[in-house]
Amino acid sequence: MISRYLLLFIFNLPFILAALINIITQYKLRRINRSRFYIWLIVWSAILLGLLFAEPIYAWLFASGLTASDSLSLFDVVQITAIVVLFYIVNRMRLKLEVVERRLKNLHQELSIKLKTLK
Amino acid sequence: MSAKKQTIQTVNVCVIIPAFNESSVIQKVVKNAIQTFEKSPHNISVVVINDGSKDATTEEAIKAGAVVIEHIVNTGAGGATSTGVRYAEIHNFDIAATMDADGQHDPEDLVRGIDELINKKADLLIGSRLIDSKGMSRVKVIGNKGLGFITYLLFGVNSTDSQSGLRLFSRTSIEQLRWETPGYEFCSEMLWRAKQQKLNIKEYSIKAIYTEYSKGKGQNNWNAINIIKSLLKRRISELLR
Repeated sequence: MISRYLLLFIFNLPFILAALINIITQYKLRRINRSRFYIWLIVWSAILLGLLFAEPIYAWLFASGLTASDSLSLFDVVQITAIVVLFYIVNRMRLKLEVVERRLKNLHQELSIKLKTLK
Repeated sequence: MSAKKQTIQTVNVCVIIPAFNESSVIQKVVKNAIQTFEKSPHNISVVVINDGSKDATTEEAIKAGAVVIEHIVNTGAGGATSTGVRYAEIHNFDIAATMDADGQHDPEDLVRGIDELINKKADLLIGSRLIDSKGMSRVKVIGNKGLGFITYLLFGVNSTDSQSGLRLFSRTSIEQLRWETPGYEFCSEMLWRAKQQKLNIKEYSIKAIYTEYSKGKGQNNWNAINIIKSLLKRRISELLR
């Protein structure tokens, strides 16, 4: 029988890998600077490690008395996956929005100057 | 640009005046600037960026002899200034200078600033009203010093008057300096970008002329909260982009 922790990791892995590949590509193409690259590398690596070692982390938290909740349910797997997917989507949307905002600003600026020249 | 005898010190200056609903004062401000520069060795072109005004700002500015670029929609002081700097880049000006449309800046300070920029070999020269804050209300002094401190905390740039509307840009700055914030907070972001680009930032003392009109048009101190919020957002967004 497949462990629920393994299931959680398998469900989330594609999104985490996509995010990691994306930031490495952006860095190699010099579209983001080194500090941003490291920040996002740390964030996504922490999520990856957190999911990879979810079972021992839960066992440690339980043993330390920091949680009294039941072990991972199938519903928890769905919830955690949804959070990771939403985090990935929201971040991509934010980046796209910033690019659109910048392009719109440049377009407005260039258009205003061009229109002046045409008059 | 009026034709003048070319000397070593003669430079082509683009004076950028971002304006939003300033029809009652813009003519006087433009005329003052042109007349002041007539006495200097420099060639000047006054460019008014009409940032989506609903009044006769464009007509009044043209009457006074300015080139007017009209923004189709209102973007804010940062957006308007950015358009002016881009215009100066396209038209190969040696120096670009910005001043407020409400008449709070003395064009004589601008002329003096050109010499300061050249002599100090600065890339970005800020006209500081706070080196000698005589005539400035205590509330404005506190507000501006507070924003200067925030600018230092967030971006590590030390300026006595980070929010000053009188600035001069060298050709290097005209070509390299870009900012993203469209609103008033661009003043702080501009200093930050200049620091990132390793541009030489200097300051010189100017006087601010406060009339009833300019007092009414000036920034409310409460707007500082919005500026701080926006700067914080910009700082965090820069880290996570």
